[in-house]
Amino acid sequence: MSDEFTTPPPKRRRRVMPAGRALVVILVTLLVWAVLYAPELKRSSEAAPVGARRTVSLAILNPLVWVTDHTGLTAAANAASRAAGRDPNAEVGGVDLGVDALPSPVPGEQQEHHQKIVKDTDIREPTPDKQLRIAIVGDSLAQGVGFAADSVFKPFWAEVFKQGRISTGLARTDYFNWMTQMHTIVDRADPDLILVMIGENDNQALINPDGTVEQDIGTFDWAEQYQQRVQRFAKIATSEGGHVVWIGLPNVSDKSRWDFIQKQNAIFQSVADELPNVSYFDSWNTFAAPGGGYSAFYRDGTQVSEIRAPDGVHFNTDGYTLLTEKAAQLATKDFNLDPKTYAP
Amino acid sequence: MLFPTVDFALFFCLVFLGHWVLNHNARAWKAFMIAASYIFYGWWNPRYIFLLAGVTVVAQSSAIVVSRQEDQRRRMSAMAIGIAAVIGPLLFFKYYGFFAVNVTNGATALHAALAPPLIQVALPVGVSFYTFMAISYVVDVYRREFPVASWVDTTLYLSFFPHLVAGPIVRPGELVPQLDIQRDPRHLDIVGAGWLILGGLFKKVVIANYLAAAIVDPVFGEPARHGSLEILVAIVAYAVQIYCDFSGYTDIAIGVAKMLGFQFPQNFDRPYSAQSIQNFWRRWHMTLSRWLRDYLYIPLGGNRKGTVRTYENLMITMLLGGLWHGAAWHFVVWGGLHGLYLVVGHWKAALRARGVLATPPDTPWVHALQWLSTFALVCVGWVFFRADSVGTALSMLGRLVTFQSGPTSLVTVPVLLAIAIGMTVQFVPRSPGAAVRSAISQLHPVPMGIAAGFALFAITTLGPRGVAPFIYFQF
Repeated sequence: MSDEFTTPPPKRRRRVMPAGRALVVILVTLLVWAVLYAPELKRSSEAAPVGARRTVSLAILNPLVWVTDHTGLTAAANAASRAAGRDPNAEVGGVDLGVDALPSPVPGEQQEHHQKIVKDTDIREPTPDKQLRIAIVGDSLAQGVGFAADSVFKPFWAEVFKQGRISTGLARTDYFNWMTQMHTIVDRADPDLILVMIGENDNQALINPDGTVEQDIGTFDWAEQYQQRVQRFAKIATSEGGHVVWIGLPNVSDKSRWDFIQKQNAIFQSVADELPNVSYFDSWNTFAAPGGGYSAFYRDGTQVSEIRAPDGVHFNTDGYTLLTEKAAQLATKDFNLDPKTYAP
Repeated sequence: MLFPTVDFALFFCLVFLGHWVLNHNARAWKAFMIAASYIFYGWWNPRYIFLLAGVTVVAQSSAIVVSRQEDQRRRMSAMAIGIAAVIGPLLFFKYYGFFAVNVTNGATALHAALAPPLIQVALPVGVSFYTFMAISYVVDVYRREFPVASWVDTTLYLSFFPHLVAGPIVRPGELVPQLDIQRDPRHLDIVGAGWLILGGLFKKVVIANYLAAAIVDPVFGEPARHGSLEILVAIVAYAVQIYCDFSGYTDIAIGVAKMLGFQFPQNFDRPYSAQSIQNFWRRWHMTLSRWLRDYLYIPLGGNRKGTVRTYENLMITMLLGGLWHGAAWHFVVWGGLHGLYLVVGHWKAALRARGVLATPPDTPWVHALQWLSTFALVCVGWVFFRADSVGTALSMLGRLVTFQSGPTSLVTVPVLLAIAIGMTVQFVPRSPGAAVRSAISQLHPVPMGIAAGFALFAITTLGPRGVAPFIYFQF
């Protein structure tokens, strides 16, 4: 038997290459990825705050997407996205991580809603057969409230629908349209109580759902238009008899943002004052330091606890729990929410 | 700057180009790489670069002072002062809030007038990692295991961007000598590096991020609303998530360093295949384990001072290892549990050595049982590690062992598939796909890049939208 049959073939070794050729590999990799992913990148860029970075990104991505659209690559990439379980046409904003599914609409069946409201009313008393429905709505702060609400409200008496979506707000309806989403929540979940915490990301131009600029930031009209959006949102939330506790924005560690946030809070409070079944919870003053500044700590009697996250904006778990309990207490005070739904 | 972002991809292309263009000029190359590393770090918060620079100055000054002392006692004193100075910022940033709250509440309970100022300090990213590397440097100089490096080399050793924010914790002897070797630009293992980077991205983006969103965060967020089955699956899912998240980051870091011609030590070696806790710690976060062994456990006396002291040293090392992860009691409990596991493991080994306890037979069933019990103990530890408090962890474990009924909607086929993938990689050979990589390496650069581009597209499409930070960035 000859050697060629008895000796195993030599293993192929991994080939190395010069740095110049390696750079070609890297650049081709990124280029292919950018082309295939261009529609998604463009949608993300469109959702970014108006500014130089967004403008430059879109200047690069628009021609790229034109090419992918006309070569069928967009359709192929969308098909791949669908195969991976992702809707390529879904709104870019409002990633539904940690968002509870809403009850499905029953075709042809009219949802039984509460009586139309004309004045401040009480929240109905829950029964084991008919729990209260509580929706938590807003941005990442609302997401934290949502997780806390799961533990604060007792499952026996209350069903919680966590609807907080990170990076969203009322300014960018092109990124995530809270007006239509609030309609959906009211139609499908028919909440008795809605805790709203939103506005942390609204320090930017007001953009319409079609991407056109309604009002630039920093103008007098911005505040007026923003107030109209807040009002419209609150009206939708209460349109079928739900009660809203609008949680104002808390103090943040970055002093340069204080003026703007206080103006937002003034808008939230004035809307709450003028609309029935909407109450305002002043988280700014509730959690401020004794001198009125930012504090990450809260003194409850003799115990001090850290309640804010290190980013100086969000709360930690203890903080969200405290905030949710206080919002529930306000609902008891203003709307007669039965304390058994949340009291320890 | 996070690895899986467009910002980092563009940054890396420029660094890669500059790195190889300046490769032949050591001085210019080091200056360029330090600048790039500081830009990378300052991307999070430009103020952090002052902290990094400060730790570097303190570490280098300490090393110089230590190296100049001939008298052993003076040498040791200089080292101790140096370590205290290096670790001071870490202690302040990481533990001040924890300390202030506990002292204030303790003093109130005892009616004592003690109230340290309540200040919340944001933890700069990566500070735990480069502080440990700075300590390694000072101690290695003290032990005469490593000579004092130049200011430039020390600055680059501590700031080198591939390891900067979450390790691996590289020792001076492993990295500083590489800074002075001219890397060969003709022999770059781009396929090996790319395999690590894409594999790391897959682990992080597809497996870890998916499991976090699909089951881990909802269940750990509110365990009282979940039954035993969902809790059990969420605990195992978290074990897979943290492995894929952290080892994915490490793979990317090692791959990025490899593209620049650097070798980093391994940080993970299929840890969930371990059949004992001792073995687990030889496979999990290996560079932290050896750091704790060499700079804490052995200086405490290791196993050289009798059985009781060995157990004490194990407990101290693991409790401090737990506290290193964060200023919270649940991390202390996690460290304490692992300390306890290790003590029991040593005790059993001693009993076997004395013939008091029978050595288990060497059969597959026994190995399977050892594997299962080790994995279960590790998972119990992870519950304390992931939960936001000891109370939440105990509530989860309580619901688990009392067989609570509840919804099972989070236990889906994709969740089980992701867990299965994460567990399967624990039992495949250390370097899987060698033949595939060899075949890819034969390709021309353009088709190779096209294949990698498609792989990257698949990863980004399969993962959830958005960029979730790596778990270990918070430590």
